[in-house]
Amino acid sequence: MKAVQLKAAALVGAVALAVSACGSTNSGTSTNGGGGSSGKYPLTVAGVIAITGASDFEGQNQAGGILPAIYAINKAGGVLGHKLVYKGVDTRADPADALPAVQQMLATTSHLVMVAGPGSNSAPTIVPVLNAARIPMTAVAGESAFDQTTDKYFWRLFPPDAANGVAMALWAKQKGFTRVATVFGTDTGSQGDKPGVIAGLQALHIQVVFNINLTPDQPTYLSSVHRLMAAHPQVVMTESDAATAGTFFGELKQLGGLVPIIGTEATFTAPWITAVRGALGSSFQRTFTSLITSPSATTPAVTAYEQAVTADKSQVPKPWQSYLNNPFSITYWDGMVVMALAMVAAHSVVPSVFDNYVTQVSNPGPGKVKVYTYAQGVRELAAGKHIQYFGASGLIDFNRYHNSFGNEEAVASAASGSQPVALGTITAKQIEAVPVTGVP
Amino acid sequence: MLDTLLSAVVFGVVLASIIAIAAMGFTIQFGLTNVLNLAYGGVMTIGGYAAYLAVAHGISAWYGLVLGAVAGSVVMLAVGHGLLRRFATRGTKVFEMMMVTLGLGLVIDYSLQAISRNNISQFTVLQSAPLHLGPVTVTPTQVIVTAIGLAIFLGLEALLRMTRIGKALRAMAADPSLARACGIKTRRIVIFTWLLSGALCGLAGVVYIINSQSIGYSTGELFLSLVIAAAILGGAGSPAGAVLAALLMGIVTQVVSAYGNASYSTAAGFGILVVVLLSRPSAVLTKGANEELALS
Repeated sequence: MKAVQLKAAALVGAVALAVSACGSTNSGTSTNGGGGSSGKYPLTVAGVIAITGASDFEGQNQAGGILPAIYAINKAGGVLGHKLVYKGVDTRADPADALPAVQQMLATTSHLVMVAGPGSNSAPTIVPVLNAARIPMTAVAGESAFDQTTDKYFWRLFPPDAANGVAMALWAKQKGFTRVATVFGTDTGSQGDKPGVIAGLQALHIQVVFNINLTPDQPTYLSSVHRLMAAHPQVVMTESDAATAGTFFGELKQLGGLVPIIGTEATFTAPWITAVRGALGSSFQRTFTSLITSPSATTPAVTAYEQAVTADKSQVPKPWQSYLNNPFSITYWDGMVVMALAMVAAHSVVPSVFDNYVTQVSNPGPGKVKVYTYAQGVRELAAGKHIQYFGASGLIDFNRYHNSFGNEEAVASAASGSQPVALGTITAKQIEAVPVTGVP
Repeated sequence: MLDTLLSAVVFGVVLASIIAIAAMGFTIQFGLTNVLNLAYGGVMTIGGYAAYLAVAHGISAWYGLVLGAVAGSVVMLAVGHGLLRRFATRGTKVFEMMMVTLGLGLVIDYSLQAISRNNISQFTVLQSAPLHLGPVTVTPTQVIVTAIGLAIFLGLEALLRMTRIGKALRAMAADPSLARACGIKTRRIVIFTWLLSGALCGLAGVVYIINSQSIGYSTGELFLSLVIAAAILGGAGSPAGAVLAALLMGIVTQVVSAYGNASYSTAAGFGILVVVLLSRPSAVLTKGANEELALS
């Protein structure tokens, strides 16, 4: 009996050791850098994002870009012979949910090479954890706190909130608006974007005649609508959740106070457009403009992205067509391609190694060959060339704070659906020329 | 300045009408059964979706109101008489029952979230040009919403005071044992209460989405705190109290929005609840955790 117990204890101990060895993120990859001497195991790309809850569209946006990217990379032979697999880690857009989920991910995920995300709400909590774990991340978080981050593993291909706000102010100035009302939800995402808008307006000396924060999901905002109308703004700049926006702008229209609306990038999503279009009816088309990150022209990178989304349409959340022009999805696509090319350039899938190669494969530089797809990048690297990946979102040029953002485009929504209709471009140079202060 | 105040009061009355319809249904059911029904918000949403689906299939919004009420009644009867009564017969107490309804509300919410794929759906009905009543501008929708609220209040008061079933309902709410001893068929009264409460709940869901012009899975749940606050403030079992409380909360909310920071308006509405309860604690103490459930 004693012998049986000893054997059982030994077996349990062995299993525990094996599990802990497999479960340790870094041990699995660090010993196999350079392509994996002990077989071509799959590499895990974790999507740290809201997959369920009220912000589940963030997860859909991510899936719409990252899954086609993984599809395209695997189709091109994978990374150094390794296939990529995606693992969703649900933050529910709440730091309290995000932290344990990420800690569990770090403890249990084998061969974790990068994280797609985190998003705005959980980024301040999650980024330090991932950075300490030496996991490169392609964050889609606009917080200005990351504008001058020194976190080595943080990479942002997404404009900081202030950039989007400045672009909105520049667009308003171009249109001759001098009296602006700002209407923002009290949710974290909206409040995170608001300072950039206010700072942009102040920098351009545009008068804010009315400024209000709306508690989301109230049955009515009539008094606030009445006050806004009394201030006689020429345009409303806004961000809030879809239901709040539908109610507020619906009441504004009903009371006869509708003026042009300029929304942040976060408003250019299918739920928001559906809600406000429903409330405004035919007025929506001529009233609403949003400033979004956008490529300045169609490039082979855009074509590659569209082809991958189409080919992988059964894997992405419905409707797959909505990701073809989704700036968030395109950002995730570019982030994934950049990281994969960095691995190839580094000849290593060890995060702490290939993280040093990110700017080498993305930023412009003398003698670099411009590539538009992962497969093309791999070919050029194999030929001994230095490459610059030009993304589906346009030029990628990380600064010393690991931030890269390009032009912003003013868009309207198509008559049906949520495809963007280009109205004009605000260039990155224009944005950088505006002296913005006071953004936290 | 006076125009702003006048507008805020009118808008407060509109908001109060929406709160009051739901709060009347809630308080009647709570007053009679002692069940603090936290699934009420979920049933509201179901009522709203019933009207939304009806209108989406070409049915008039007016019939949508009726369908919302019917859907609310059916679901509330299933919840109250079909499910909660079983818990009560097994000895479930007041607090435990509240937890059951909380869980049930979450089941409804997350089911609706899955079915609706978390989409916000538009419900733009009964729209037309705004009406200018002196310095106040209102929409026909808001007039309709207020009229519905007023009609329901008057109808409910008439039902409770002028009909046999209404009198029986009040008698049972006051003392179930005595009502039973007097020959009142209490089981029927409880069933009637669930149906009535459900109808008002479903109707409130429809009125809410008519005004907000959109519906999502959490529509009713987000509104529930205001409804419960009005019901408690008005005194359990008192539709007139619920209406007065709704008026107080609605007007305070809108006046704060009009003169102060709108993001504090809801906080101010609930602040009123705290202040009133401090000065009049009997409002909640009339229904306490020591009371028995009355579900049959």
